[in-house]
Amino acid sequence: MSSRYLRVAGVFFSLLGVACQREERDLRPAPTRLAMPGPAARESLLQPGGPQETLTPVNPAEGNGYAISEGQRLFNAYNCSGCHSHGGGGIGPPLIKDVWIYGNDPAVLFDTIVKGRPNGMPSWGGRLPEYEIWQIVAYIRSLNNLEPKSVTPTRSDSIEQNSHTLTPPPEPKPQ
Amino acid sequence: MTAFPALLAAQSALEPGGGNASRILRLGQGVVLLLAVIFIAVMILSVIPLMRRHRGIEQEPLERRHQPSEATERKLTMVVGSAVGATVVILLGLVVVSVVVGKSISTAAMPSNAITVEVTGNQWWWNVRYMNNDASKIVVTANELHIPVGRPVVIRGMSNDVIHSFWVPGLQGKRDLIPSRVNTEWIQADRAGFFRGQCAEFCGLQHAHMAMWVVAEPEDKFDAWLSHQAQDAAAPSTEELQRGQQVFLGSACILCHHIQGTDAGGLVGPDLTHFGSRMTIAAGTLANDKGNLAGWIADPQGIKPGTKMATVPVKSEDMQPLIDYLESLQ
Amino acid sequence: MTDSLGAKLHRRGTMAIPNTIAAAAALFCFAGILLPQIQNEADDGQWTMAAKNPASTRYSALSQITTANAKNLKLAWTFSTGLTKGHEAAPLVVNNTMYIVTPWPNILYALDLTNPGATKWTYSPHPSASSQGTACCDVVNRGAVYYKGKIFYNTLDNYTVAVDATTGKQVWKTLMGDINKGESMTMAPIVAGGKVIVGNSGGEFGVHGWMAGLETETGKITWRAYATGPDSQVLIGPDFKPFYAKDRGKDLGVKTWQGDQWKIGGGSGWSWISYDPDLDLIYYGTSNPGPWNADMRPGDNKWTCTLFARKPETGQAVWAYQINPHDNHDYDGVNENILLDLTIHGQVRKVLAHPDRNGRMYLMDRTTGEVLSAEAFAYVNTSDSVDLKTGRLHETDAKKTGFKTVRDICPAPPGGKDWQPSSFSPRTGLIYIPHNNLCAEMSGTPANYIAGTPYVGSDVRMYPGPGGNRGALTAWDPVAAKPVWSVKEMFPAWSGTVVTAGDVVFYGTMDGWFKALDAHNGNLLWKFKVGSGVIGQPISYKGPDGKQYVAVLAGVGGWSGAIVSGGLNAADGTAALGFVNAMADLPKYTTTGGMLYVFSLP
Repeated sequence: MSSRYLRVAGVFFSLLGVACQREERDLRPAPTRLAMPGPAARESLLQPGGPQETLTPVNPAEGNGYAISEGQRLFNAYNCSGCHSHGGGGIGPPLIKDVWIYGNDPAVLFDTIVKGRPNGMPSWGGRLPEYEIWQIVAYIRSLNNLEPKSVTPTRSDSIEQNSHTLTPPPEPKPQ
Repeated sequence: MTAFPALLAAQSALEPGGGNASRILRLGQGVVLLLAVIFIAVMILSVIPLMRRHRGIEQEPLERRHQPSEATERKLTMVVGSAVGATVVILLGLVVVSVVVGKSISTAAMPSNAITVEVTGNQWWWNVRYMNNDASKIVVTANELHIPVGRPVVIRGMSNDVIHSFWVPGLQGKRDLIPSRVNTEWIQADRAGFFRGQCAEFCGLQHAHMAMWVVAEPEDKFDAWLSHQAQDAAAPSTEELQRGQQVFLGSACILCHHIQGTDAGGLVGPDLTHFGSRMTIAAGTLANDKGNLAGWIADPQGIKPGTKMATVPVKSEDMQPLIDYLESLQ
Repeated sequence: MTDSLGAKLHRRGTMAIPNTIAAAAALFCFAGILLPQIQNEADDGQWTMAAKNPASTRYSALSQITTANAKNLKLAWTFSTGLTKGHEAAPLVVNNTMYIVTPWPNILYALDLTNPGATKWTYSPHPSASSQGTACCDVVNRGAVYYKGKIFYNTLDNYTVAVDATTGKQVWKTLMGDINKGESMTMAPIVAGGKVIVGNSGGEFGVHGWMAGLETETGKITWRAYATGPDSQVLIGPDFKPFYAKDRGKDLGVKTWQGDQWKIGGGSGWSWISYDPDLDLIYYGTSNPGPWNADMRPGDNKWTCTLFARKPETGQAVWAYQINPHDNHDYDGVNENILLDLTIHGQVRKVLAHPDRNGRMYLMDRTTGEVLSAEAFAYVNTSDSVDLKTGRLHETDAKKTGFKTVRDICPAPPGGKDWQPSSFSPRTGLIYIPHNNLCAEMSGTPANYIAGTPYVGSDVRMYPGPGGNRGALTAWDPVAAKPVWSVKEMFPAWSGTVVTAGDVVFYGTMDGWFKALDAHNGNLLWKFKVGSGVIGQPISYKGPDGKQYVAVLAGVGGWSGAIVSGGLNAADGTAALGFVNAMADLPKYTTTGGMLYVFSLP
């Protein structure tokens, strides 16, 4: 009998432990910078003389539920949804997909937004602060299940929950 | 600092500024008075027996089964019965009175010469649009509602994100603002003055900093205000102000803010066409002056953590022209 | 031929023109007058403008291909454009040369018909690649126009170009708009009154819509008439006499808008223009107002969704009729205006027939702008009727949109019919309307205006209308104002139609069939599976060998085919402004690829 009570108590306290963890909301990004077109990001796997280590910036919004939900809000507020709809695309390509023209690394998506792309993607560099672009990047990745499930915002009503239309996380890249 | 009207007086249901709030206050006073009388009576009635000696202890020794006398039974039936009756009558009466008062302040009882104002709740500010059948006379502003004294104003309440509640205690009761719905109520100020309103439905991090000011002013003054607000923004008159406008148009500001008469067309943040004429910034959080504005632009998250106002870096030499320009938008 | 035809038309009672006039045919044809028989006589077998003639009838008087022999049609030759976007253009045929404009990058090919398929020359205007980001509904182009030795057309990045038809050398190139304001150009120009007339696209980008006239010789802009703004910008002057009181007043292009919203209010002229040389008037419609969310732009929003009659030399408006005041459903007014002379109630009237996006066929007096009838040719529940006394459309309150979700809106935003042009046969007296059968739900969201990005504010999802067929081809009797026959199509009928003197109607379907129907009853005479869905405009011409040919560009895309040409993800029904929801199965039926197909009898 007493072991049962112990078990219940154990579950209770471990739940309490979960409840204690509160996500860090980075409300005051410092220092804030306007995103400007910067040095080239690598977009090709073909690297003469063999692959090299590349230093890619880490997305500060990665894995942060608040940042991703802000990214979702900004995605609509800045009219990203005007071209990409809620991920299905339209004037611009879909953002829920398997094959990405330039890859789906956060750094590459950041680059795409800041620099624009030649076939119609506007260049937002100089208009948006960096932290907002990182939030949008994290949201776009969350559409493709590339962010932890626990921080992925609820999908827009317009998106069907068919598993076959949502892409699984990619295979880890060979080192 | 712009004179902030005394907060307590300005946001108080106890100092009504119009008929609707007066009716609500009278209803409240009546209910409180009646219930106070009842409370006191009940208290007295329950204290009296404690004071009195119980005769029955000597006359009727306690038995296993206590059979009250027929007289006691009759008396108790009468007392309990009339208490139940009185409760039902009082409750019914209260329901009737509050329904009557509710009807008298509902839009159905509104005089016909009302002006219509659309108030849209956003996290965490109010968008205000003065409607008009002549579309070119429509006025858009934010966080500040000017109303003419003695004239009813219909509030068409909506929301762009979560549920908010429009509440100006000095003028009217609460009305929830619900996404995809239009809820209406009407307000009328019978005296000139300032009334503070406050979001009355928890709507997120900065719910407490989602306030608005209602300015009740004589009809001619209101008309002048409204027709001025319908104008395009003042063109920058000096070189410094022109530079400020360039800073505004060249930065992230235009992605969210609209200044009528310029290329700034953003619609997700408050309209800034006549920003300089408003009393407060950040939805009643700060008085509208240059120092506060500079602080707000430089570090909105420090002032109102979680605000949707983006932290946009502004070069130090650009800040003064920018705030000068914004404050010039009278 | 003329006699028997005249008698036939007389018997049908649909045609207005007495036989005596037919005698003067040769005389009038020079001026391009719009009497159908005369035009019938005048057909030289060429195709010099997208709509065939200024009256926009798309009627070819060639009669070798008939209802009897259409089943023998064979593929004559083909030509690949090598592009994978939507091909909406009509080929031109002039002096044994065929001219084709491709979607972006807007290459102009001149093909030698005496040596089928051989390229005479190629002209590349090199439009900016970024302009693809401002084209709402695929990077299409709807064709060119030939006039006095030059080919005129628009590039996606807002240039109007004139190219020498013989050498392929550029004569002039005029910049007309700014992609950073969301403008693009996709329409097929016409030449009227010695001016090339062009308009911009971008009703979904908050552009300031306009139509402009350029000198054919120099490319100099003579006039530009905006759709919104003060009368001085709309080119409304003393000659402006709208038929209905609702369209009268000073500066309505400003007063029917909140604040300065008219500056970004849309009203672009992205589609068809017709021309009546007799009255010396051009006719065209303006696009939807922006944003789609109607609550954000109170007022009638003039002059969006409006038909204009203007003088081609000066651009001055003569009359205007706002079809959809305060548009709730993206019902652009841009569809074709077919200019006809019909007997209405025993009286010969100069009319224009305008099948609108709102699902109604407007028959209007083109001299005055009076509405004679406005019956529905598609399933409509957004409006009850048009009051012929006031000209006002009676809209259904329950279907009005704004900051709310409204379901079962029929027709959906692409309308009862979108840009896909109809044709008219003077022999049958019928208009052949390729159209949609779509309904939608619309949910208003706050729109944000950022110059150069979309300005819509509405989540839309479309689905098939009653009956389940998403499209149809309907033969419409404009005098009786009712359909005569209708053929259902699985997908929206997004190609143009052409009708010939052999009483054959040609059109293509999005699942890749090019079809020939009997113009009298809609019976299928022949069909051919082409490589990609057809959204282009078929034409018919006489080849150097004297044979009648039928040509069409295949290559699926456009708004309806964006799911294929843009590789969109159907998991999101709101993709492509909600069209993807209705077209999720299209990728099973067709793939991309632009190809010209030319057919003839063996």
